[in-house]
Amino acid sequence: MMIRFVSLALLCGAACAQSVDPGLLLKPPSDSWPTYHGDYSGQRHTSLTQITPANVHQITLAWAFQTNQTQQIKASPILVNGVIYLTTPDNIWAIDARTARQLWKYTYPMNEGFHIGHRGAAVYRDSVFLTTPDAHLVALNARDGAVKWNIAMVDSKRGYWSTNAPLLIRNHLIVGVSGDFDNLPGVLKSFDPTTGEVQWTFNSTPPAGTPGSISGGATGGQMWITGTYDPELNLLYVGTGNPTPVLNGDARKGDNPWTCSIVAVNPDTGKLAWGFQPSPHDTHDWDAVEVPVLVDASFQGAPRKLLLQTSRNGHFFVLDRTDGKNLLTTTFAAVNWTKGIDAQGRPIPNPDKEPRRDGRLVAPNETGATNYRSPSFDPTTGLLVVSAADGYGLYFFKQDHGAYGWAGADYDVWSRSAIRAIDYQTGKIRWSHEIGEGTGAAGVLTTASGVTFTGDAAGNALALRTTDGTTLWHATLGRMGNSPIAYELDGRQYILMAAGSSLYAWTLPSPPTAADSRN
Amino acid sequence: MHRSQVIGLAALILATPSAYGQAGPGGRAAGQSPAAKRPPATKHAQSYSAAQIQAGESRFVSQCGFCHGRDAQGGESGPDLTRSPLVAEDMRGNKLGPLILSGRPAAGMPAFSLSSTDVAAIVAFIHDAKSKAESAGGGRRTVDAEDLLTGNAEAGKQYFNGAGGCAKCHSLDGSFATVGARFQGLALLQRMLYPRIRDRRAAAPQVVKVTTAAGSTVTGTLAYRDEFTISLVDADGWTRTFPAASIKFEVDDPLLAHSEQLGRYTDQDMHDVFAYLQSLK
Repeated sequence: MMIRFVSLALLCGAACAQSVDPGLLLKPPSDSWPTYHGDYSGQRHTSLTQITPANVHQITLAWAFQTNQTQQIKASPILVNGVIYLTTPDNIWAIDARTARQLWKYTYPMNEGFHIGHRGAAVYRDSVFLTTPDAHLVALNARDGAVKWNIAMVDSKRGYWSTNAPLLIRNHLIVGVSGDFDNLPGVLKSFDPTTGEVQWTFNSTPPAGTPGSISGGATGGQMWITGTYDPELNLLYVGTGNPTPVLNGDARKGDNPWTCSIVAVNPDTGKLAWGFQPSPHDTHDWDAVEVPVLVDASFQGAPRKLLLQTSRNGHFFVLDRTDGKNLLTTTFAAVNWTKGIDAQGRPIPNPDKEPRRDGRLVAPNETGATNYRSPSFDPTTGLLVVSAADGYGLYFFKQDHGAYGWAGADYDVWSRSAIRAIDYQTGKIRWSHEIGEGTGAAGVLTTASGVTFTGDAAGNALALRTTDGTTLWHATLGRMGNSPIAYELDGRQYILMAAGSSLYAWTLPSPPTAADSRN
Repeated sequence: MHRSQVIGLAALILATPSAYGQAGPGGRAAGQSPAAKRPPATKHAQSYSAAQIQAGESRFVSQCGFCHGRDAQGGESGPDLTRSPLVAEDMRGNKLGPLILSGRPAAGMPAFSLSSTDVAAIVAFIHDAKSKAESAGGGRRTVDAEDLLTGNAEAGKQYFNGAGGCAKCHSLDGSFATVGARFQGLALLQRMLYPRIRDRRAAAPQVVKVTTAAGSTVTGTLAYRDEFTISLVDADGWTRTFPAASIKFEVDDPLLAHSEQLGRYTDQDMHDVFAYLQSLK
């Protein structure tokens, strides 16, 4: 076993080390984290077991990488062939994972797009891809960061921008954009990763003014978080954002599909297979873009292909991902905006909680019960662990606010946050670990050894016991703003997390021995 | 062509100074809603070149626009800068410049690493946006005090003294009796719901009493708290920090009743209590 591993490594080292085959993403090796979620499932779960609940308190800093910028890191780094690719708006670094030495850095030219955040990069063969604040897609040579091509995905002058980490499926590079301040159709595009040519475009909503549109006049539904993929069904799952105008629901009657939805799309054609709407007729900016986590597991006694989502509107959904049928809907945080759950498993919005001239006190607040930060599914315990917030906001809309863009006003009132572990079969919260007032920004990573890595709402990175949420380790790094990743390199397990504008790598002080593993 | 734009004069001419002051003697006629209160006017007339404003727009949109809106009238999380008192007081960046560079981390605004040229251009753009918002009459993405007056003050008084439990802490003996004169509209509603929203320091502090392992006690204002640490400012103004695991501590948060009430208010309760507080003058 060991001998075969070594010889393969040698062969690859000589011949193919630096070229990333898209097939790698089907079963990523443990020495990689080759895509935003680590793999196609979106579980953000590592099979690595060196770091355990018993020894995690010993982990030590292997290295830190300083971006020397004021921009907070919100991206998931990716790792292939011993090189880490890390992004912030306009910037991408290639970092030697063994030394934290910068191999190269590429900075996109100054531009007018929103510099609000960036989720991460993608790789294909010898190319690395970066989306930009002005909604371009740039292909870089993975060796040295030289620009191969640079294309406009959509016209940023219309109000689009992009923070998206592209998703590679075979020869399809699938990219989403953002755009909440204008009445713009929701756009997801597939590009040829070699040439940058457009293969297909999926619109979650039609252009403004399209007669007879199913969206009921709504635009929006931007797909700004990386989707997940089931190779057997050949379906891509993506969450869509809020409708526009954002807070003015009167201007767009009805449910406004496919905004605030989970859509299943054929990655070869861009055709919609099915959609499910976590927030019909949203008027609170509750994107349903949160990671659609794919789980193959038993549900009510039968094996099922499941899709789990902890949605920004405070609800936890379990769907059958073959057809989008709802199996379970519960809440995982404070919610006061519904009149119940309909026959399709969708929350029924209470019209009295739509933004009004005199203000409505609504839970969750606009930041949501959760947000872009990734949850993690632990197959051993059947727990979906999510950084959640119980929050209240004030929502206003009057006719003077118009029907364009935000079209209203809203203000955060108060929130308190917790890491919550949800039993996927019942939706019941198995444990809730308080992380303070305000909202946490850290995502979650679970390990097969039973450790949950995340961060609190103040400035601590945390390791919790996955079974019960007990704190096992912490480090005060400053506010964590991304979702951790894990990999094994040269026989050692690493955990990467970002706080502020620096990236931190943690590992055990010495490689574990056989005696350790027997314990 | 270079074109200078003078900022602030229009607003100064349009409104009497009293319209911007606190309500009270010399203010608007009795019975007129404080909603008529306009955003604070630019205090110092200042002019910027069109080129600088244009350069500032480009930097503003990319760095600030998501939170504050492309037109500076408020975005996804940041306030409307055209109605900001700080912008009104600013003179060529003397207030805004330092704020942009240091940020307001506690309020979610990061520090920005920008050249003095970029900061000056952003300042020019913000002043220009304020001038434009004022000449346009405003009204977009704003909440006026009159919008909020849908409640019944008498019902609010009953809720205040009864079901809401507000009277357990608040009496009309002191300054609370005139709270409606000191705060109007959204500022009052936000303070009512959770006083720390508007001003962390002005709100009643959380008091913490720490008992050390050796048995001594230290009392002070809670300065920081997480799962691992309790930090307080003692009576002499010194910050003292303790590992949470090795001490005993009690936190008295006078605002706990406010956060707990958020899940209990109906919107009608909220508007009724607001109407009652707004009537206390």
